[in-house]
Amino acid sequence: MKFRAWLAILAGFLPASLVAVVAFLTAYSWPAIRFNGVNFIWHDVWNLGNLYADPVHVGGMPIQPGAHYGILFLIVGTLLTTAIALVLALPVGVGAAIFLAEATSGKLRIWLSSFVELLAAIPSVVFGLWGYVVLIPLLGRHVYPAMAKVLAVIPFFSGPPGSGYGLLTAGIVLSIMIVPLIAATLRDALVAQPKSLREAAMGMGATRFEAIWNVVLPGTYRVLIGATFLALGRALGETMAVLMVSGNALNYLPHNIYTPVSTMAAFVVSQLDSALQDPTGMAVRSLAEIALILCIISVIINGTARAMLWFWARSPQPGGA
Amino acid sequence: MIDRHSSARRCARICSAIGIAGVLLAALLPGSGTARAADQMRLLETGSSLLYPLFNLWVPAYSSSHPDVQITTQSTGSGTGISEAISGIAQVGASDAYMSNPQMHANRSMLNIPLAISSQMVNYNPGVNLPHQSIVPIHRTDGSGDTFIFTQYLAFSTPSWNQSIAYGTTVAWPAVSGGLGAEGNPGMVNASKTTPYSIAYIGISFKKATDAAGLGEAALQNRAGEFVLPTAATVQAAVRATAARTPADERISLIFAPGAQSYPIINYEYAIVNSRQPSRAQGTAVRQLLDWCINPRDGNAAHFMDAVGFVALPEAIAQLSRKQIAMIH
Repeated sequence: MKFRAWLAILAGFLPASLVAVVAFLTAYSWPAIRFNGVNFIWHDVWNLGNLYADPVHVGGMPIQPGAHYGILFLIVGTLLTTAIALVLALPVGVGAAIFLAEATSGKLRIWLSSFVELLAAIPSVVFGLWGYVVLIPLLGRHVYPAMAKVLAVIPFFSGPPGSGYGLLTAGIVLSIMIVPLIAATLRDALVAQPKSLREAAMGMGATRFEAIWNVVLPGTYRVLIGATFLALGRALGETMAVLMVSGNALNYLPHNIYTPVSTMAAFVVSQLDSALQDPTGMAVRSLAEIALILCIISVIINGTARAMLWFWARSPQPGGA
Repeated sequence: MIDRHSSARRCARICSAIGIAGVLLAALLPGSGTARAADQMRLLETGSSLLYPLFNLWVPAYSSSHPDVQITTQSTGSGTGISEAISGIAQVGASDAYMSNPQMHANRSMLNIPLAISSQMVNYNPGVNLPHQSIVPIHRTDGSGDTFIFTQYLAFSTPSWNQSIAYGTTVAWPAVSGGLGAEGNPGMVNASKTTPYSIAYIGISFKKATDAAGLGEAALQNRAGEFVLPTAATVQAAVRATAARTPADERISLIFAPGAQSYPIINYEYAIVNSRQPSRAQGTAVRQLLDWCINPRDGNAAHFMDAVGFVALPEAIAQLSRKQIAMIH
């Protein structure tokens, strides 16, 4: 009994630490939450105010005159980069998973799968550096100008092609980081599908592709959705890689796909030392509010994904549909 | 079975013996190393990327004459320089911006000590004959002294800017679609180099880099209405027109100086130092370093200043700096 009690206490540290982090963020950013209100999410201007003037008092709290915090451009930047990353990563991830599960076997499958999973082991700052050194000059000088001309009919793809730092570049780097998540999870689910499904489909006259696409893959839809949510959670929180390639836009929304953006996580990193210049401390607390919003979104998405994966892995799957 | 147990126990005993021996050796062996470490004073300088090239030239020269002091330099931005000097992580915080009144109120033991006089260029990535393309303004994302002096110039010269945005190490830049943020002066050079039709503010100590990148340099309109480039002559003219107003705590802006030949963006390069150092030895080491830096035969000598495009402190200002340095204990 005593052993179980100790084990329970140790195990309890993990959810307790999650609650502690959220509680700390809420408590630390409470003055900012009071000062910023709901407009924090709708307004587009991040302004520390006049740092060299004397603080004024607003609602009982000292603020630098002119200070106003709104993060709409960060929310839009985060959502757009994540959306682009998913759009790019899903086809590649699903394709890789199908290839690994269906077209390879034995040792070849093990080796190739290891390579895909190793991609997930690369630190994100390495991706950021590669993006900064290789991808940005390549995209900015060659690919984007060509794209802007060829795709000019699509509204979001026309206009000035920028310099390589921007929304699409950040999306590309993020998609490379989340492909292994989708591919590895889906590959396991495909391999776990009973052989009898494939045999039955082929027995009905389906080609190999039709058997995979119409019979085997639909059985893994729940796992695919769960893996997508996990990838979504990773892309939302990605900081260093995005910071290095996104262009660090301030206070404006992107007007086309090549425009610089900022994401919430990257913004907190890049603005922390500036926020420390605010003697009233409101700027740092507003950064903590950004972190709190990001934390809550990530927890919800990751929690949903894991709950879905766990629940549907346990429930008996009706054959194929 | 008994054999396996006793051999396992022997193995465990050998391993623990090796481990204990290793720990003892590690503790005892570098006796000379620990003595060296105890003698060596370690100082950390962090902050302004505009002062960083000069500090990197100073450190080898200083260390050759003061082998007992080891100085580490970092380029992290003036904002970080100020905050790390306040928190005590860095012994010398480099900043192009002096501390604000609220900051001085909150941290009364801090000193702002000018070490040299620098200036700033406005660089652009030239197009041919001003083509019909959008201009891409590039600003600093980190808390930057370069942002401070550039926005001071804009604020002092343009009343509408002063009313809306004012100046600071961080400001809410107006929303210009396509505007980029870069980190540090090297980041500004790189972003400007790779972005066509861009315009950026870069410290004078990066002139070699901007010339190598083929960036153009803009002549700025000074208070008298003349357009001037930052040369030794124009910077000296601005120094002569403004330095006399410097108060004892040396927190003053030299921006937008009067005079037909004055360059409008010049500033003191500050060492932000806590006058209360944690130990007497450290206080002495910091005082010696700063005295060396402002000495016209050592740190403020012509070959150091010319290498980065700075101007030496006038004697009156060096005197004020010496008085502030003497307050460090």
